[in-house]
Amino acid sequence: MNRSFIARNPSVLWFLLALSVFTVAVTLMSEVTGVGLISTSFVKTLGKTLCLCLIAIAMDVVWGYCGILSLGHFAFFGLGGYAIGMWLMYARTELIVVESLANAPLPPTETEVTDAIATQIFGVVGSSEFPLIWAFSHSLTLQLLMVVLVPGLLALVFGWLAFRSRVTGVYLSILTQAMTLALSLYLFQNDSGLRGNNGLSGLQNIPGLDAVPQSVISIAFFWASALALGLGYVLFAWIVSGKMGSVIRAIRDNESRVRFLGYHVESYKLFVFTLTAIVAAIAGALYYPQAGIINPAEIAPIASIYLAVWVAIGGRGRLYGAVIGAAFVSLLSSWFTGGSAPAVNLGFYTINWTDWWLVLLGLSFVAVTLFFPKGIGGLFDLIVLKPVADRQGDYGPDKGAWRREEGEP
Amino acid sequence: MIFRLICCALAIALGLTAARAQDSVAPLQSLLQANADAVANPSRSTVDGLVAALLDSDLPGVPVFLERWRDRGVYLRSSDGLFYYATKAEGGYALVDVDTGQDAGQAESADMSELRPNAGVRRVIGSALVAFQLLDDDPARRLAALDAIDRSPSEDQLEPLRLSIAAEPDPVLQARKIRLERLLSARFAETPAERIAAIESLEGDLGVDARAVLNLILTSAPAVFAELPTDRNIAAVLEPGTDALSEVEAYTRLVEAGFAPPLTGVATIKDALIAAMDGDAVAGIPVASLSTDAAREAAYDALAATGAVPPLVTLDDQAMALAAHRFVLLYAEPDPAITAAAAATLEAIEFKVGLNQAADLALDGLSLASIYFLAAIGLAITFGVMGVINMAHGEFIMMGAYTGYVVQLFIPDYTLSLLLALPLAFAVTFAAGVAMERLVIRWLYHRPLETLLATFGISIALQQLAKNIFGTQARPLTSPDWLSGTLTFNEVVSISMIRVAIFVLALMFLGLLIYILKRTRLGLEVRAVTQNPGMAASMGINPDRINMLTFGLGSGIAGIAGVAIGLYAKVTSEMGADYIVQSFMTVVVGGVGNVWGTLAGATLIGFLQKGIEFLNPSNTLAAQTYMILFIILFIQFRPKGIIALKGRAAGD
Repeated sequence: MNRSFIARNPSVLWFLLALSVFTVAVTLMSEVTGVGLISTSFVKTLGKTLCLCLIAIAMDVVWGYCGILSLGHFAFFGLGGYAIGMWLMYARTELIVVESLANAPLPPTETEVTDAIATQIFGVVGSSEFPLIWAFSHSLTLQLLMVVLVPGLLALVFGWLAFRSRVTGVYLSILTQAMTLALSLYLFQNDSGLRGNNGLSGLQNIPGLDAVPQSVISIAFFWASALALGLGYVLFAWIVSGKMGSVIRAIRDNESRVRFLGYHVESYKLFVFTLTAIVAAIAGALYYPQAGIINPAEIAPIASIYLAVWVAIGGRGRLYGAVIGAAFVSLLSSWFTGGSAPAVNLGFYTINWTDWWLVLLGLSFVAVTLFFPKGIGGLFDLIVLKPVADRQGDYGPDKGAWRREEGEP
Repeated sequence: MIFRLICCALAIALGLTAARAQDSVAPLQSLLQANADAVANPSRSTVDGLVAALLDSDLPGVPVFLERWRDRGVYLRSSDGLFYYATKAEGGYALVDVDTGQDAGQAESADMSELRPNAGVRRVIGSALVAFQLLDDDPARRLAALDAIDRSPSEDQLEPLRLSIAAEPDPVLQARKIRLERLLSARFAETPAERIAAIESLEGDLGVDARAVLNLILTSAPAVFAELPTDRNIAAVLEPGTDALSEVEAYTRLVEAGFAPPLTGVATIKDALIAAMDGDAVAGIPVASLSTDAAREAAYDALAATGAVPPLVTLDDQAMALAAHRFVLLYAEPDPAITAAAAATLEAIEFKVGLNQAADLALDGLSLASIYFLAAIGLAITFGVMGVINMAHGEFIMMGAYTGYVVQLFIPDYTLSLLLALPLAFAVTFAAGVAMERLVIRWLYHRPLETLLATFGISIALQQLAKNIFGTQARPLTSPDWLSGTLTFNEVVSISMIRVAIFVLALMFLGLLIYILKRTRLGLEVRAVTQNPGMAASMGINPDRINMLTFGLGSGIAGIAGVAIGLYAKVTSEMGADYIVQSFMTVVVGGVGNVWGTLAGATLIGFLQKGIEFLNPSNTLAAQTYMILFIILFIQFRPKGIIALKGRAAGD
């Protein structure tokens, strides 16, 4: 049984290969570094999609492997985005302010600079003072630390509270949904200190890099996103493959049985929940500089539910399934809602996809849950002969003992 | 009896007036001529005497004259020096005699000059008119006069008002006059004893105007003294640096009162330095070094030493100046006895208002609780019986509301359409629920998380479908007239009829559900399946059928809740999503599988939300945030909800 990590998980190699080929291909086709087949905005879309794939594998680990259907992971994604957005906004406004104050008769004092920055940033919500949460926003290092610490701590505290009182199943899902709803409602307020529903904007302008065109920045972020996705994939593949992975899957299949075997279930769940939250936050920190704007609507409960939709359509319980689902559904979604999908004329009625896409998505989602519980990723089982004994029960927690006869074909 | 006597006296007086009027041909005109100058060019000094003379004359034409005079309808004809009521007509003015009210021919424009009493005079005329209007035969005019007093109370209205109370035949108007008299006396009565009596009589009065009057009496203004004065009516002594008076504010007052020089702030220093800039240096200090506040202060000090600017006033100087003065609030009312009485009365009133506000808040909470109950009970039934979370429950609420809207499109009578919409909404959502259970949910019974996701797919499809059919704008669901009013208990406590109706509806459904669950065969079977589906099946109950019916019942109630919610909120395709999380909270907090639990959960959440909104009224978003946080914490301590099923009934 002492096979190497790669040998046990051939999919990791295949995935990394596919990802590198894709990254190189996009680079060669982009405007600056290649032949210009792909526009800058599409490079950004692809970069954002890679970030969504990263949060999707995090979701897959927490749901598909550990059986916790979290409907709140987009909250962590958004918090990561806010954390990096604070630095981007502060640093860029500082540059502008210092430049404009350089012409003043007296050299500006520190307070004058800070006040001017605060007025610039918070004028839109009728305030001119820095709230406490912006205390570290002047420093990139500290703010990068915040990207990891704030969502990590939130997940740790929330998870500890939830798991120790043994909230499981749908209760836990509803509770996580309530958490993200509370967070987004809080951020919607003007006095939350994060500019209310205006959110943070202008994040695509990287401070100090004004001379660098967006086409170059977009490629840089694309590479960064690809790197993060690759690292995240290897990390999660490693976590779910070893002994710990077995325990995590066992928790999904029958929590009490694992507990009776002597494992401290809560710690495992808490570890998975917090780690995936941190990865989600990193994905958010890479996503929003490419999107350019973040506002509280981004972390509304619906976003986290879509995340679950991606993972379910892609196929739970396999990391590449989550990646496929996120990429496929989010790209298809922007294709349909972008108005580029051709309308279907039925004679008596014309189906306009901008109107009917959500109906199609909803119904196909029902169809996938009913008829293809393994999702798109299940198609790979047709070409790869998989030893059945490796994993059983793909179908979430509770009553896991029933799964074998029910679920396996 | 006394009233009758007064009426008789009045009648006799009027009769006498009429008799005297016949003696002279034009008594009013001659009276006016006697005071011609005062009428034509009235001023504040002459008008009082003139109005008094007019009132004393008791002539019947006086009120009309005063009214016209005030409204600039009286003209002086220069050819004969007589006064007329005139209106613009073709080629000049049409004249009306002041005594008879008869047509008095035409006049050239050049011949007539308009009398223009100024604002002060018009006010005097107006209050004299009030006296007439208060005694007018027409109750509508008396009411208008009272409204006028209400709007702009003044000292001179008190006397006419007092005189008119006894003669008032209408008991409602009389009560209002007495109350107004109290309010006016509290402010304007002559002796302090009278005022204090009036103020004390206001105790327990919940009206906003009573509190306004008391607050007016208690008006205070800030003042600053070196020593506390003993002869002034001091409301409070304020310490600088407390919540009531910040140090900055206190110092601003000192500066305004001329007791201290203004603080040399950052901006002042900066301006002075810029103004005194001499090439690259200020007072010998290079400009480039002035990038800290300390350096700038030093430069300013150097400037002050040369005498170019006033010396630096620092925070230390401010603290010393503050310590040397006393800051007080002075009542505008000099008599401490009156302000003390007003303060005591106001406090008593505020306490009573507080009690009533609590009652009002409780009513609001109750109505919100009944809305949550209606929205959540369907969910609780399906969740409790089948362990299935129906994310599309919100969309069933929306479906019910749209059913009501469509029914109203066809039946214009709101009462009838509402009565028809309720069963129809139930039928539509019952059918939708049964269809969903048959097509989707029954295949997923052992996978609760997947049910959640599948029903979520249905939810987004339904929501978008509604958007495609009905559009994105809100559709109205109009309530019948008998539901559009408010039920008012007193000035503070009131509730809209719709909310009462929703409360009644919620009560009805509570009763109905309890009856179905406890007294019918269906209820027995439902409870059996809830507790142990396997055992129930072996007893001959068909769990499939029960599940289907329960799901239909839960969905049907959602439809009815939709009609109720649509009546007071707008119908949109997203209305369901607004309630779904709240409904889940209600179910989870209350305890699953139990009507009473849902009731308790809805009550807790409804009252809690209203309570938080009351404490933080400007911010409903914050209220919702805090409530969700509370619920998350609550789940920590009672994971099974308020009313947890125990033993075998719990089903695990």
